[in-house]
Amino acid sequence: MGFKRKRGDGEGEEMDGEDRGRPNFNGGEKRNVILPSMIKNKDKRSKVYAKQKHEKKLEKQKKIKARDAAEKRALELGEEPPQKMIPKTIENTRESDETVCRPDDEELFADIDADEFNPVLRREIIPKILITTCRFNSTRGPALISELISVIPNSHYKKRGTYDLKKKRGTYDLKKIVEYATKKDFTSLIVVHTNRREPNALLIIGLPNGPTAHFKLSNLVLRKDIKNHGNPTSHEPELVLNNFTTRLGNRVGRFFQSLFPQEPNFRGRRVVTFHNQRDFIFFRHHRYIFEEKKQSSTKGKDGAPIERVKARLQECGPRFTLKLVTLQHGTFDTKGGEFEWVHKPEMDTSRRRFFL
Amino acid sequence: MPRITTNETYGCPPIRALTFDSLGLIKVIEARGKERSTPTVVNTWGEMNASRCVLASSMNDRLKNPLLAVARKDGKVEVLNPCNGDLHLSYSVFGDDVSPPEDDGVSGLHLFRKQKDDQAERSCTLLTCTKKGDVSIRSVKFPDAHDDSTEDVAPTTWKACSSGEVLVGKVDGTENFGLFGGRRVEVSIWDLEQCTKTWSAKCPPKDNLGIFTPTWFTCAAFLNNDDHRKFVTGTKSHQVRLYDASAQRRPVLTFDFHETAITAISEDPDGHTIYVGNASADLACFDIRTGKRLGSFLGKCSGSIRSVVRHPEHQVIASCGLDRYLRVYDVKTRQLISAVFLKQHLTGLVLDSGFSGEEIAVANTVVEAATEETIIEQKYYEEEDEEETEKEAPVKTKKSKKVKRSREKVSEGEEEEETEKEAPVKTKKSKKEKRSREKVSEGEEEDELRSKKTREHKKKKTKKVKHNQED
Repeated sequence: MGFKRKRGDGEGEEMDGEDRGRPNFNGGEKRNVILPSMIKNKDKRSKVYAKQKHEKKLEKQKKIKARDAAEKRALELGEEPPQKMIPKTIENTRESDETVCRPDDEELFADIDADEFNPVLRREIIPKILITTCRFNSTRGPALISELISVIPNSHYKKRGTYDLKKKRGTYDLKKIVEYATKKDFTSLIVVHTNRREPNALLIIGLPNGPTAHFKLSNLVLRKDIKNHGNPTSHEPELVLNNFTTRLGNRVGRFFQSLFPQEPNFRGRRVVTFHNQRDFIFFRHHRYIFEEKKQSSTKGKDGAPIERVKARLQECGPRFTLKLVTLQHGTFDTKGGEFEWVHKPEMDTSRRRFFL
Repeated sequence: MPRITTNETYGCPPIRALTFDSLGLIKVIEARGKERSTPTVVNTWGEMNASRCVLASSMNDRLKNPLLAVARKDGKVEVLNPCNGDLHLSYSVFGDDVSPPEDDGVSGLHLFRKQKDDQAERSCTLLTCTKKGDVSIRSVKFPDAHDDSTEDVAPTTWKACSSGEVLVGKVDGTENFGLFGGRRVEVSIWDLEQCTKTWSAKCPPKDNLGIFTPTWFTCAAFLNNDDHRKFVTGTKSHQVRLYDASAQRRPVLTFDFHETAITAISEDPDGHTIYVGNASADLACFDIRTGKRLGSFLGKCSGSIRSVVRHPEHQVIASCGLDRYLRVYDVKTRQLISAVFLKQHLTGLVLDSGFSGEEIAVANTVVEAATEETIIEQKYYEEEDEEETEKEAPVKTKKSKKVKRSREKVSEGEEEEETEKEAPVKTKKSKKEKRSREKVSEGEEEDELRSKKTREHKKKKTKKVKHNQED
């Protein structure tokens, strides 16, 4: 469709519209406004709609121009430029939540000091992680596990062993495994659940008496599928926990923190990120480097090229997204255990309500 | 535009709740005012220490000299004043010098309401039961500065079970019988006077597959205040069972509730409704005569419910649990009235039935200041008499402040009454009368208060109806 033709049509329509007291798109009286969707003739409707759209566009352009001009003028006059508008996003229009942790809350700190992760986070115990699988696993499951082992220091993989050695049938109960891991002084147990050869859930159990978190796992990209991926070293990684703001989020964040040693080796330049956004926790694993780039084009006062330090990132997988399903008090016991947090449909009252 | 859901507050009747949490704090939540108000945390007692986590609590909320007993994780039992948090006394269940065993703890606590002797003012009787099954009833006297006679009556103790773990310890309304049960311990009823077992349950038969569900009681409640034979229990295998000790040893009625363990049961004063909460945060009420669910309480509750309490007068129940919220629901509409965020995992909850948000609060605070602070009280009265017409009285002590606050409330109430065409002079007069009587005799005063309370309650009810009509 040509631009000109539309315009001409629009003008014609406008005449019509004014004659019949039809849509008045430029604001004006609101009572007379007829929405394009109310016009039954498709041809007319699309014309009216096109005109409306075009007018909106023009208006927007005008607005932008005016804004830019104002900014320019302000700069020329040496004034403060008008403040930039902040777009409304779901995050910054989030519903207010009284459970958000405040830094001046004494009770919060006392509670944190008393929780199950404290010995690990206070560096009294070195975290030791046992990774195992669900009963049947294949392809992407073991691949994810081998990568998790490279991400989490001091983690060990154990097969879900057979309990009936003669018949070679069946696997240990998870409760038995929890018992075993507690006896062997593991601090956490991670179970990777797969469904149809695709990992779909992660169960993290704090040991010996610490909570059990059940996450849904999605969007898994393994290392070999990441373009230009790096290979991680065996240094202790740094940890970035983003946006774990509420009391529940704080607890989950501390849980993740307790999986890693508390003294990162900065020589390794490895970063593991748990980024929470709208209750989805994004896991990323990177290597970074600070490069000093000599820029020949711009020279400093003394003629020497300025050395600009630039940080570069290289992702070294895996990459996946977690969503908290339940958080359970105590170790794994779905039937008899008490839940600290379960998601219920009645809690989804708004898309701007988040729990972490 | 962002769609923001606001918590529709239907208004909370005047209630006063005390919650206990995993850090050993006791928080007082009060909803003041006549009709619609939001409960807020008024006071926090105790220091934060995870080893002082409250395991069980019991309250004697009589109008005169109310008491609150809490059992802590380190084996200490403390008797407090629920009005101001003053510690009356504290002792250790496991002995004073012995450190508490790892796998043992208090699982049941009861503060007896009936008095055994006249020295009721400065003593109380407590029943404690530990996980190992040691039950003891002991009368304790509050240490007194004036009185140095500290003869301790030896506690009556017995074992409620030989093996297993007692998780439930309850005393019925008449306080003659106790109920114990738990993990691998069948429910049994004990005569507390003679310390003998009078009845014990029998485990239910195997199901049609021949599978036997292990015994694991988690909570219990007597259906009726004066009948110790009918009680409801909740089990770890998500079953609610009704027992009738006079009929048979096996449960009379059994029904399932969702998929996770039942963690809290509470009875309604009407004798046939029970409120059941479970470990995955579902709360529902059942008619125990039929076993049918009357309805669920939906309140966006997300953590295991540890305690459900029905208010004896108002039509509300309160629940608390691991989601760190105290929630108040309306019984009739099953709507969430209000939720208060309390920051810690909550382990228990008691409601103060003597609280009405106004005049009774005065009474409470007056009575609670039994002996030691009579001087202050008297001073206060003098001041008050002087400044009857003025609103503010220069008061120094904390307690009298409280009194003052409530008094302001009273004045507000009076104003409201005025609008409702009741003679304000009359009420004032009666108040004065009351005060003078308080000075004279306490027994009379109690009666007076009681009648007053009931009267007031009736008034409130009518008012509520009015309000509804207006709506």
